[in-house]
Amino acid sequence: MSSAAASSPVPGGFGLRRALVRNRGALIAAAVLAILLFVVDWISAGPLTYFDVSFLSSGGATSALAAIGQTIVILSGGFDLSAGAVISLVNAVLASSMDPMAPGASILLWTTVGIGVGMAVGAFNGFFIAVLRMQPIVVTLSTMFILQGVTLLVMDKPGGFVSPDLGAFYLGDAIAGWLPMPLVVIGVVLLAWFWLKGTRFGTALYALGSDPESAASVGINVVLVRFAVYVIAGGCYGLAGVFISAQTGSGDPLVGNPLLLSMFAAVVVGGTRLGGGQGGPVGSVFGAYILMIVVNILLVLNVSAYYATIAEGTILVLAALAGSISHASVLAVQLRAARARLAAWRAGILPSQLERVDRRLKIAEPAHAQRSPASPRPAFHLRNAETLRYALPAYVCLLLIVLVTQIWLGRAILNPGYWNSLLVLSSFLAVLALGQGTVILTGGLDLSVPWTIGISGIILAGMVNGSDAALVYALPVVLVMACAIGFANGFGIVYLGISPIVMTLATNGILQGCALLYSQGTPAGFSSPMLRWVMTAKLAGLLTPIVLLMVVFVVAAVLLLGRTPFGRRVYGIGNGLRAARLSGIGVERTLILVYMLSAVCAAVVGVMLTGFSGQASLGMGDDYLLPSIAVVVVGGALITGGRGHYLGMLGGVLLLTALQMLLAGTTLPYATRAILYGLVVLGAVMALRERRLQ
Amino acid sequence: MGIGSKVRRLALLAGMAACAFGLSAAQAAEKHKIFLSMSYIGNDWQAEAANMVKAMAAHKSLADKVDLQVQVAGPNAQRQIQQINAMVQSGAEAIVVYPISPTALNQVVKNACDKGVKVFAYDAEITEPCAYNVHIDQLEAGRVTAEWLVKKLNGKGNIIAITGVPGTSVDDQRTKAAKEVFAKYPDIKIVGEAVGMWSQAVARTELSKILATRNWDDINGLWMQVGCFTANSMQLEAGKKTSELLPCAGEGSNGGRIQMLPEGTEVEGAAPPYAPAGAQRISYASPPYSGALALKLAVEAIEGKDVPKTTILPLPVVTNETIKLCDEGTWAEMKAGCNAFKPSLVSNPGWFASIFSDQTPEVGLNAALVGQPEN
Repeated sequence: MSSAAASSPVPGGFGLRRALVRNRGALIAAAVLAILLFVVDWISAGPLTYFDVSFLSSGGATSALAAIGQTIVILSGGFDLSAGAVISLVNAVLASSMDPMAPGASILLWTTVGIGVGMAVGAFNGFFIAVLRMQPIVVTLSTMFILQGVTLLVMDKPGGFVSPDLGAFYLGDAIAGWLPMPLVVIGVVLLAWFWLKGTRFGTALYALGSDPESAASVGINVVLVRFAVYVIAGGCYGLAGVFISAQTGSGDPLVGNPLLLSMFAAVVVGGTRLGGGQGGPVGSVFGAYILMIVVNILLVLNVSAYYATIAEGTILVLAALAGSISHASVLAVQLRAARARLAAWRAGILPSQLERVDRRLKIAEPAHAQRSPASPRPAFHLRNAETLRYALPAYVCLLLIVLVTQIWLGRAILNPGYWNSLLVLSSFLAVLALGQGTVILTGGLDLSVPWTIGISGIILAGMVNGSDAALVYALPVVLVMACAIGFANGFGIVYLGISPIVMTLATNGILQGCALLYSQGTPAGFSSPMLRWVMTAKLAGLLTPIVLLMVVFVVAAVLLLGRTPFGRRVYGIGNGLRAARLSGIGVERTLILVYMLSAVCAAVVGVMLTGFSGQASLGMGDDYLLPSIAVVVVGGALITGGRGHYLGMLGGVLLLTALQMLLAGTTLPYATRAILYGLVVLGAVMALRERRLQ
Repeated sequence: MGIGSKVRRLALLAGMAACAFGLSAAQAAEKHKIFLSMSYIGNDWQAEAANMVKAMAAHKSLADKVDLQVQVAGPNAQRQIQQINAMVQSGAEAIVVYPISPTALNQVVKNACDKGVKVFAYDAEITEPCAYNVHIDQLEAGRVTAEWLVKKLNGKGNIIAITGVPGTSVDDQRTKAAKEVFAKYPDIKIVGEAVGMWSQAVARTELSKILATRNWDDINGLWMQVGCFTANSMQLEAGKKTSELLPCAGEGSNGGRIQMLPEGTEVEGAAPPYAPAGAQRISYASPPYSGALALKLAVEAIEGKDVPKTTILPLPVVTNETIKLCDEGTWAEMKAGCNAFKPSLVSNPGWFASIFSDQTPEVGLNAALVGQPEN
C-alpha cells in the first residue's frame, strides 16, 4: 500500500490521497469490520479478550485464504467455481493419507502436499482457460464436478485422521497472548501478494483484468499470466484446505462446497470489482471476516432462527452499501442525476418536454433506398454465422449423447417416451435459461433464483391447496410477487450501485427467511389437479401438455430477445454500458426489467415444479442455481455479457438434461457419474473456444 | 469441582446479559443456558425437528429450567465450528447440535467439553468421544428395509435404488447395509440407482430420468431413502391400478403412511395421491424427535444425572400390518399405536410422521407442527 505513495513523484499529501483512493475498497471494508467488532464487543456480555480474537481469527481464516485466491482470479477478469471443491479434495487427501498410528507429522510436508494438490488443479483449470481460451466459468464448473467425484473416490464418507500437530501449529499462537497463528498465515500470504504485485507479473495481472486486448497488444504474454493466475489461486485454495484440515482434525468430502458463494460475497464486499482490474486481496480478507462475524452478532442479539438468513442478507447489503459511500458512488451519481433532471424539468428543457422535430442532418439517403437488388441478402448461414458458431456445438453434442444413450441403454431414438421425458425435464431449465440468460447478457448474474423458485412454489401451493379455481388468483399473485422481487434486485443494483452478485445473494437469503416464516417450516398445501395435469399427464399416451407450452415459450423467448427493442437494449447494455447509455438506451429501466424477467421466470419454474411434484418443499430451487448458469454458458453465451442466443441456451439445456438422463440410466457409482458429467461439459464447450487474440 | 461456583458465575454472566435486554435478573438466573445449533433449515425434517426442540423447551416441566437459544449454521461446517465457539464463549451450559459433519466439529466440541459444556448431537453423529450422541442405527435402517423388500419379492426381481446425499455417513451406512443384503440374493438386480438427496422433488426428477429409458413393467421393487410417496404417485399417473403398486421400502413421510392405509379408508382431507391406496410399504425414518430428546437428556446431564454417551433410538418401522390412523395425534394416542396423521391436520405429505417416542411424552403432533408442547 505504501509503495504507491512512495513511488509517487508528486508531494506526499497527494500521494497519500491517491493511495487512499486506490485502496478505498479495502479501507472501507476494514472500517466496517472494525465497527462490527466494536458492535460485538459492545452488545456481548464481557469485553473481547485475546481468546475471542483468537477464535475469530481461526474461524474466518479458511474463507479468507480461499478469498485471496479467488480475488487474484477475479482481478485477472476470471471466475473460479472450483474453489470449494479444491478445499474438500485437499481435506480428503490429507485426512486419508495421514497415518493415525504415527500421530506426529511434518507440517511443512503436508502443507506442501495441500498447496501442491491445489496448484495441480489450478494448472488443469489454467490449461483450458489460458491455453485453449475457454470461458473460466464453465471450465471451473466442470472442474468442480470432476473434483467432487474425485473427492468421493478418495474418501466416500467423513472420517480419516489429520495429525494434531497440524492443528497445534495452525491454530496456536505465534506470540502467546498477543498474536494468533491464523493471522500470521494470512499475513504471510498477503506479504507474498505484495511482493507479487510489485513485479511485472502483478502489473500484467491488473492490465489483463482491465483490458485483455490492450494487455496483449503491449506485449504481455496473456496465456502465461492467465495460466499462472489459476495456479497461484489453486495454491491459495490448497492452503485453505490445509487450514480446515488442521482445524477439524479429520476429513469430510463435503466440507468445502458450501464455502463457494460466500467467497464471492467476501471478494465483492472487500471492494474488488467483478470483471477484473480493480481491488485486491487485502479487502477480501476483511470481507471474509465481515461475513464471518455476522454469526457472532446473530448469536449475541439472539435472532430467531427463521430470521437469521434475513438478518444476514440485510447485513450483506448494508456492508456493500457502506463500501460505496463516496462522491463517485452510483447512489450519489443517481441522486445528482435526479436533481439535474428535476432542475431541467423546472426549466422546461427535458427532452420529453421539447417539441419533437426531426433535427437529423440530411447527409445520407434514407436507409431503405440503399438496399439495391445488386446486393442480395446474404445466405442464412452467413447472416447468422456467429450465432451458429456458438449455438451449434451444444446441439452436436446433444446428438452424440442421444446416440450413446441409444447404444448403451437402448430405447431412446425411437422411443417417444424418451423424448417426452427429455422435454419435460428440460422445461424447468429452459424457462430459467431465459431469465438467467438475459441477466447474463447484460453482464450480471442472478443468484436469487433458488429461493424465488422456493417461495413462489410454497405460496402457490398454500393458496391453491388443490383447487383449480384458486389457481386463477394464486398465479397472478405469485407473478406479481416475483415482479416485486425482481424490482428490488434491479433497484438495488441500478440505483444503489450494489454488485449483482451481492444484491441477489442477499435477496436469496431474505427470501429464504420469508419462505420459512410463511410456512413455519412445513409448507402446506398441494398443487391443483389442472397444474398437475399440465406437468404430468400424457396426451394420447405420449405427450405431456407442458411440452406444447414450451414450444410457445421458446418462440416467445426468441422473439423477445431477437426482435423487440427490449432485446436490442439488452444486447446493447451487455456490449458496452457506456455506449448504450450514450446512445440513449434507458439503462436503468432496462436493467430493472431484466431482473424482473429473471424473477418471473424463476417464479414460473416454482409453479411448474409444484405441479410436477404435486407439492412444494423448502429448498426445492437449490439444485437449479448452478445449472441455470451452466446451460447459458454451454449454449454459447459470454459470461461477461453481450453475446449469446436463446436457441443456443436451449441447446445447452437439452444437452445437460440428456446427459443426466444417460447417467441416471446407468448403474455407475455417483463419483464416476460426477466425473463423467464434468468431462462431457468440458468437452462440449471445447468448441466454444475464443478465437486467438491476433 | 465446584459446580455451584460455576453455576453462580454463569448466572452472573447470564444476569448481566439479561439486564442488558431488560429482563429481570432473578428470573434468568435460575435457568440453564442451552443453545441449539441447527444445520440448514431449508427442509421439512430440520424445521420439524426444530419445532419439537422448541416445544420441549416450552413444556411446563422444562420451561422454568431452560433458556433455549436457537441458531442456524446453514450447510457450512466452518460456520458451525465458529458458532459453537461463540456459544461456549457466551456461557452455554449445554449445546444441542445437529452436526453438519460427523468429524469436522471434533476439535471445537472437545474444546467445549474441556470447558465443562455438555454437547449433545442429534440425528447424526459426532465422533469426538466426549460428545453425547442421540440417533438411530443407520446400518440397521438399511438392513431392515432391504430385508423387507427381498422378502416381498421372494428373493427375485429388478429393483431401483434412490440414495441420499453422497458423502455423508448416514447415506453411506444405509446404502452399504442395504447393498450387503441385496448381494446375498443373486436374483435381486439393482437396475437403476440415483442420488435422491433425501428430497421428494429430487426423487421425482431422478425417477423420471431413469424411466425415460425403462418401463415400470421392467421393475419389481423400489428401495429409496426418500421418495416412495412420489414413486407411488408416478405409478398411478402412469395408469397403474392401486393394486399394482410396486413394493417400496422407504421414508416415513406422512403422505407415504396415508398411502399405506387400505384403499377406501375414510380419511378426512385426503385427495389423490395423498390418499389411502393400500400401497405395499415399509416406512422408516430418522425420527425428528431426536433433537427434543437430546435437549431433555442435556438438562438431565446438567442436573448431574448419569446420561449414556450414546443413545441409540429404536428404529421406527411401520408396515402395512402396523399402520394405524391417528385421530388427533396426541402423545397418549400415539402411545396406543397410531402412526399416521389425517391430511386435514398435516397438509404437507412430505412431513415426517415418526414423531413418537416412549421417552418424550412432552411432545406430540402439535409440537412437530407448530412447536406447541403437550399439556
